[in-house]
Amino acid sequence: MNNTIVSYLSQFEGHQKFLAVASEFLGFDVTALVGFVIFFTACFILVNVAAAIGGLGTYAERKISADIQMRQGPNRVGPYGLLQFLADGVKMILKEDVVPAQADKFLFNIAPLLALSGVFATLAVLPLSSGFILTDLNIGIFYLLGVGSVVGVAIFVGGYASNSKWSLLGGMRGASQIISYEVPVTMSIISIVLLSGGMSLVTVTESQGGLPHQWFILHNPFTFIGFFVMFIGTLAEANRAPFDLPEAESELVSGYHTEYTGMKFAFFALAEYAEVFVLCGIVSALYLGGYKVPMDLGNGVFFVENLGLPAVIGKNIGQLLQLGAFFTKTFLLYYVVIWIRWTLPRMRVDDLMTLCWKYLTPISLFNLIGCAIWVYFFENQSMWSVIFKAGAAGAGHH
Amino acid sequence: MFENILFFISSFLVLGGATMVVLSKNLMHACIFLLFTLFGVAGLYLTLGADFLAAAQLVVYAGGVVILMLFGIMLTGGTENKENRFGIEKIPGMGSVKTYIVAGVSILFIATVVLKIIANYMRHYQQTDLPEYMTTVERIGHSLLTDHILAFEISSILLLGALIGAAMIARPRKS
Amino acid sequence: MVTLGSYLFLSFALFVAGLAVIIARKNIIAMLLGIELMLNAAALNFVAYTRFVNSNIDGHIMALFIIVIAAAEAAVGLAIVIRFFQLRESIHIDDAAQLQN
Repeated sequence: MNNTIVSYLSQFEGHQKFLAVASEFLGFDVTALVGFVIFFTACFILVNVAAAIGGLGTYAERKISADIQMRQGPNRVGPYGLLQFLADGVKMILKEDVVPAQADKFLFNIAPLLALSGVFATLAVLPLSSGFILTDLNIGIFYLLGVGSVVGVAIFVGGYASNSKWSLLGGMRGASQIISYEVPVTMSIISIVLLSGGMSLVTVTESQGGLPHQWFILHNPFTFIGFFVMFIGTLAEANRAPFDLPEAESELVSGYHTEYTGMKFAFFALAEYAEVFVLCGIVSALYLGGYKVPMDLGNGVFFVENLGLPAVIGKNIGQLLQLGAFFTKTFLLYYVVIWIRWTLPRMRVDDLMTLCWKYLTPISLFNLIGCAIWVYFFENQSMWSVIFKAGAAGAGHH
Repeated sequence: MFENILFFISSFLVLGGATMVVLSKNLMHACIFLLFTLFGVAGLYLTLGADFLAAAQLVVYAGGVVILMLFGIMLTGGTENKENRFGIEKIPGMGSVKTYIVAGVSILFIATVVLKIIANYMRHYQQTDLPEYMTTVERIGHSLLTDHILAFEISSILLLGALIGAAMIARPRKS
Repeated sequence: MVTLGSYLFLSFALFVAGLAVIIARKNIIAMLLGIELMLNAAALNFVAYTRFVNSNIDGHIMALFIIVIAAAEAAVGLAIVIRFFQLRESIHIDDAAQLQN
């Protein structure tokens, strides 16, 4: 096991002292036990934070759409209506849990759980900061793709089990859309893996810098195109507008969750909003520098050496800065996703497939080959350093 | 400790899922149980230190094969179990108590012979110290592009052929 | 405690389950499910021997190719099933007993 959060905490003196005292007091080596407790706590915190972000996502969606349409939005429950999502949650729990008489009971009940567990399993490799990752897998992105595709199965099964025409159409659209758009997304991810030389999300993030010209989006022209391919594919994978065909309310009532009520519906909604957050986090880690803070402030060396703070406080300030950087980028992307939803109309289902297979997939293949050639010819330098060196060499001739 | 817990969870998933694939009457349920089985196999790969394989298993099966199967079930419209039309109970003399006794006795006999053969090898088998867990991604990459390059290329051609062939076969033809 | 034998037993159980599905069921898609189970059993065997007997990577490579073949098999198999259903309105394996029409 490589628990990044446990190994981050165990570098501090206080942690070691606590381990020694506790081992002496209890009479056995508590390192493994304490590691497990820390890991469990971190998991608990992260899942709850993701659920809260998913809930606040619904609030943000309503507020931003209200802003765009010049309305007020929810403003009764709590300050600025902030607690609206809690009220909605209470309402969802209190509602009657209806299972249609002709539904496939087993699949109907298991589909929301599959959706929610698929999304929450992806949180394990989300790089929130260099210290606060649950686990830094060597195959991080690959794992994420695999676990994330369970959501497609869940949507399909949920649509099938409801035994309703609308749900069935929504589920089939959702599954076909998710497995189609996985192709360009995976191609874009592979080109980034090629540039960074590793599938671990920490490796990918660490091979970028804090400032925008060091990010992979501006590394070379191909990754610049790749960012938009990946972002469009992300929108489609999370079933967000303009690709929200699985729940197109003007044609399919509510798509795959038409027949779901109460908490099961809330699970689907929560899974959708949490998935948007996770995918935005992944896009920001791959292309926008993730948790990197400008001037290397994130590792805390600056605070220890120049400001004379103790190592514990300096490092933790660095971690907080990294968390701030990550969440800023992710929430900006989240805002853009909501903005797009309330700006663009929904696509037609054949246009959706045309966009994926005739445009995005060839473009992403072209990007992959372009990145490979770039790595081969320019030895993995970014275009700024190539231009700078060419300029310096040109100046040398005069 | 952790490996053992993971092994027990995964083997429970594998055994339970495989049993339910065999026993469930509804094909859609069988497909979902197959998904659980494949997740269990991925967990077993993890306990064997094959991290890349586990992720590949998840990507290919959960994302691809199971959804394909679900689509296939839906497009052919049959979740009911197909009865064995020309099968064992149509043949007179089969499916009676006599045949089950004969089958049981022959299973016992064959199992005894096979176990006798295996026991000879198992007696000399010693459990050596297992190697440490290490990442296999780099080693698989090197191995695929050096020793197994021919098989790698052939498998890519196989996949291309499967892609084009599947699209050709399933294409609706005007009659 | 977890030895090679436990993995071999699991692999055996998977294989037997796949075989039972293929023998007992007459739905072509169900038989494809059985084939997936059997392919997984084979791959699990390769990986278990890699870990417990020799620690070179070749077993993993073989399992990877098995996964590739399983994916190709599922795609082509389902295409054939769907075509067959268009022709015969059935996915019963016994309806596929003729070579032509």
